[in-house]
Amino acid sequence: METRTLLKADVKTLLHEASKKWEVFAPFSEPSGDVNFRQPESADPGAFEGLTLDDLPTLIPPKRLFFPQSEKLFEFERGKIRETPHASPKLLFGMKSCDLAGLLFSDGFFAKDFPDAYYLSRANDRLTVVKGCLQPPRPGSCFCSSAGTGPFSSGGFDLQLVDLGDRYAVEVASEGGARFVADHARFFAIDGDLGAAIADTKAKAAKALGTGIEFGKAIELMATRDFEENYARIGERCIYCGACLYTCPTCSCFNVFDRAAGGSGARFRSWDGCVFEGYTREASGHNPRAKKASRTARRYEHKLKYDPLVAGRSGCVGCGRCLDSCPVGIGMSKFIREITQGTEEM
Amino acid sequence: MTTEPVRNEYLPIPAVIKDIRRETFDVKTFSLELGEPHGGFVYRQGQFAELSVLGVGEVPISITSSPSREGILEFTIRAAGRVTRAMHELGVGDLLHLRGPYGNAFPFEELRGKNLFFVAGGIGMAPLRSLINMVLDARGEFGEVKVLYGAKSPGELCFKEELSEWRALPGVDVLLTVDRPEAGWKGPVGLVTALWDAAGLSPTNAVAILCGPPIMIKFAAAGLSGRGFADENIVMTLERYMKCGVGKCGHCNIGGQFVCTDGPVFDYAQVKRMPEKEGVF
Repeated sequence: METRTLLKADVKTLLHEASKKWEVFAPFSEPSGDVNFRQPESADPGAFEGLTLDDLPTLIPPKRLFFPQSEKLFEFERGKIRETPHASPKLLFGMKSCDLAGLLFSDGFFAKDFPDAYYLSRANDRLTVVKGCLQPPRPGSCFCSSAGTGPFSSGGFDLQLVDLGDRYAVEVASEGGARFVADHARFFAIDGDLGAAIADTKAKAAKALGTGIEFGKAIELMATRDFEENYARIGERCIYCGACLYTCPTCSCFNVFDRAAGGSGARFRSWDGCVFEGYTREASGHNPRAKKASRTARRYEHKLKYDPLVAGRSGCVGCGRCLDSCPVGIGMSKFIREITQGTEEM
Repeated sequence: MTTEPVRNEYLPIPAVIKDIRRETFDVKTFSLELGEPHGGFVYRQGQFAELSVLGVGEVPISITSSPSREGILEFTIRAAGRVTRAMHELGVGDLLHLRGPYGNAFPFEELRGKNLFFVAGGIGMAPLRSLINMVLDARGEFGEVKVLYGAKSPGELCFKEELSEWRALPGVDVLLTVDRPEAGWKGPVGLVTALWDAAGLSPTNAVAILCGPPIMIKFAAAGLSGRGFADENIVMTLERYMKCGVGKCGHCNIGGQFVCTDGPVFDYAQVKRMPEKEGVF
């Protein structure tokens, strides 16, 4: 793989330059203490001031850039339908390897069978720049090294940043990545053989982000066993707020609804969630999956049993957001510990 | 990631209501004619479409007309929720919007030469009618056809004229039952499964095709199994709350499958493999 270097001190200038062509999204530290993966607030050079490439947890994964929390599907007026356009080139700078894995999983889901025009038009002309973690952004919650999604991506990105102290090694993995490097050539130096330094950083990171989570074992167990007792117990504890679903990089359930007044209006879709009681309720009142235990089972079995069966890989990328966002301490890493170690974590 | 532009599957096309027939106090059959562009709406028996009343919403509705009758597109709709109630407010000449067709279909070629037992409960007759008329349009190619149809009350039986027409055809029998008889009802009272003997139910060279409320399907499928029908010869179409109809919104998933794209038609062997906690019945 072709490699360049990028000085850390140059990153904000580079992004300001890139923002003339791209909608740039990157992690920003907010005054509230939150970290959001978002666009700068203005076109000023100073707008990248809050940018952070430290190993901090972003609240919402980049999924929302392609599958927004709520979006207009089309407008209508007196029976005539008007499609709403979406596409624009997006640069996703400094995303984490787990989030790239989530995005690639979502790409596959939205592209298969009946391709989703809204998601795909937004994913068109997308450039992903991964920044591998050196420390876990969600200690105790995230487990990318177990899930096989990090701390560095093994592929699927355009560019990947490897921390070498005052600079990043930049791994160039695609034509799009090479074009970006060429377009901003003054920022990207050729620095001789960095192979050993890159391998050293990656090895240290793998060690620092190692967890005892037995992900592979969990997938095997889920394929053959029904953890009814766990679902019943966790189902009683869950408050069904949906935070785990909304912060999940691969959850894709949505609701569709119309808003109209006086013959004109629009059709929207918005995030929905399989754990909600009304999710499967029919007009007759019949609800095939009304029980809390069934809805809880759905969430874990979808990610750890059916996704491996249908998509060939788990929809859990080990980011840890479900546990970090849960008001009552439920999360995937705990569930995996429960079933692999026979403990009660929740 | 660079992708080619794809067809926007969520955009419906206009459809003009050409005729409305009242079936029961809360069921109407709508005949639709597609305006341009009709996008080549070619459907198979047992498929469904997503129908919209713009501004109110969109619902999946099974197609009740038959592919063997070209140019006819009918939906039999019970006023059950917000959108279907709004549909019942519409008149001839009004617009619906439609996209599809979606889902798999009832077997047809595989049924040639077989005796067919159709088992319907309530509005479940709507999708079965698509296949029944298709079979009857090629009457000589099939064995005996028995239609077993149960409703809550005599007034809630749909397609009454057609039921009489079917019954008059050679080798076709229509057996009706109701939960609550009304004055003048001379037929049997009880579940559709009580019609097995009267229908001369036999698994020999036969396939049963079911649609109805979950509880009816549950008992009918088990009953047919008890009468010697192989699981593969018990075919059913499932209903589930749906939004998109194209395997994306997630609402209709059961295990690793979507009722909208993997179904809605499944055989009993497939249904038995579905996880019980997903509440198939």
